[in-house]
Amino acid sequence: MKVARGICWIISLLLCKILCAQTDSLHATHYVMRSTLVGAGFNNTFESYLSPLEYKGAEMRFIHESMRMTRLMSGKVSGQNLLHVNASYTDNISQTNHAYGGMLSWSYALHYQFSVSERLKLMIGPMLDVNLGVVYNRRNSNNPAQAKAYGGLGASGMLIYKFHIAQCPLTVRYQADLPLLGVMFSPEYGESYYEIFSLKNGGKNVLFTSLYNRPSLRQLLTLDFPIRRTIMRIGYLCDIQQAHVNKLKSHIYSHDFMIGFVRNIYLFRGKKQISMPSKVTPF
Amino acid sequence: MRYVVYIFCIGIFCVIGISFSSCIREEISGNTPEANFEALWRIIDEQYCFLDYKKEVYGLDWDEVHERYAKRITADMGWKNLFEVLSDMVNELRDGHVNLSSSLATSQYRMWFDSFPHNFSDSIQRNYLGKDYVNSSGLTYQILENNIGYIYCESFSNGIGDGNLDQILNQLAICDGLIVDVRDNGGGNLTTAQRLAARFTNEKVLVGYMCHKTGPGHSDFSTPKPVYINPSNGIRWQKKVVVLTNRRSYSSTNDFVNSMGQFPNVIIVGDKTGGGSGLPFSSEIPCGWSIRFSAAPMFDPQMNQLEFGIDPDVKVDMSATDMQQGKDTMIEVACSLLKELGKD
Repeated sequence: MKVARGICWIISLLLCKILCAQTDSLHATHYVMRSTLVGAGFNNTFESYLSPLEYKGAEMRFIHESMRMTRLMSGKVSGQNLLHVNASYTDNISQTNHAYGGMLSWSYALHYQFSVSERLKLMIGPMLDVNLGVVYNRRNSNNPAQAKAYGGLGASGMLIYKFHIAQCPLTVRYQADLPLLGVMFSPEYGESYYEIFSLKNGGKNVLFTSLYNRPSLRQLLTLDFPIRRTIMRIGYLCDIQQAHVNKLKSHIYSHDFMIGFVRNIYLFRGKKQISMPSKVTPF
Repeated sequence: MRYVVYIFCIGIFCVIGISFSSCIREEISGNTPEANFEALWRIIDEQYCFLDYKKEVYGLDWDEVHERYAKRITADMGWKNLFEVLSDMVNELRDGHVNLSSSLATSQYRMWFDSFPHNFSDSIQRNYLGKDYVNSSGLTYQILENNIGYIYCESFSNGIGDGNLDQILNQLAICDGLIVDVRDNGGGNLTTAQRLAARFTNEKVLVGYMCHKTGPGHSDFSTPKPVYINPSNGIRWQKKVVVLTNRRSYSSTNDFVNSMGQFPNVIIVGDKTGGGSGLPFSSEIPCGWSIRFSAAPMFDPQMNQLEFGIDPDVKVDMSATDMQQGKDTMIEVACSLLKELGKD
């Protein structure tokens, strides 16, 4: 509860700071960095509600990211919107059965920006995340799928380093998102969805989560480089989502290689401009 | 110095993240005969819902079963032999809902119907259906010669539409009584069975209770929650009904018979049902064989177990004499009952 109070206090502080924001940050809030990435990689899914076996296979992922400076704390806080959509197709160890998975994850993080040097930026702040999805097992009878619905508050950290190789400007970013507290939907140990939804019997289906029963971590490593006037981005995502609630264990491990592009835009009365002074860039 | 502080902060952040991201996995050790045997035994031990009840009824001791069958497992045994041993082991549960499925075969416990008279013949049934019977949404119906309506429900696997039920009951409204025959109906969807049952009550009726396992212990169960049948908004049958059952009336058909048995205008006629009151779940073992098992038990309104079947109100077996004459004893008895009750 102390941690929850602490997070509430930080959020309250951030909201108060809005009122005393300085006017010189107003224009900075109009600069937005948007990126779109697509990728594919390896997926390892385990749902003890469906099977005691791990299912391994391929997955595809789409990431859309948007970052802009806010007026919080004298304009030193940036907001990051991150949307992940991924779909997986996996097999059990003996390849006698398949599972299909799909997740939609959205997070919003507020990062306080520490400029360590002109090249290195450290960003740390609170994060809110919401995740919805399903894992479907083709062969099961009255437990054919497991619905995934969870979210909460967490911590997010980012390290951005800008450098040049042969006069080519490059930006490398490492980000880690760690969920701390939240809620999660789960059927009880042997409870069927027939009981939950048809008979409306319910039970302990909405549970409090913390690092103890939902130890998860999402890490993203990206490299930005220009090709003519386009900024390209390549990246690696390591997404570890785990839970142990209602005596049911689950995990989804993803390792994806991503590629896409970055757009730096200036929002002004609906018009867009490609240019972003280094002073005001949120990235 | 500032670099060191910041890098230290990042390091701490990562270490906390990684340390808390300790792996959540299941302990499955390989794909050997021993590992498959242990995995199957454990699935049943932790998730099967009738271990305590069957210990009470016929002395099933699942730990003793492990001891006995572990002796039959060897490292060099073939898949066929392993399948036979594992099938024998799960058949100790005496449960038609327990099936081990592989590319070789699917194990089945059949004693719940094989040890008893069949009490149904589709060739004799044809004598009653004639040639002008109607089939609608999986239900076969006919008006018998003595003005008794007859509906045969072969399965609850496919949905039965409300429009079809309205049409059938409307067509049979002129009859003096109705026979709903669920013999040889091995079950299907509970919701389909309940949709049909909802046509035979005018009020919300408590038909039983249901619970589920809340943990791996043999006695870890949730508080049983009541199950009600709400009257259908469509056409509802108001006259007397006879439900015909045999030992092959199983699973959701068992649930249907239990629900119908709670209604005042319904009489259950025939043989005891096959049972199968555990809602089946599925799992699998490392070699990829699938195992289906009962996971959530259902009870009648007095909290009696229904796993081994429901006794009829009027016990009737097909007589050899009737069968020789092409008569279905159960249909004959049902017609007589309905005619008698129609006079009152």
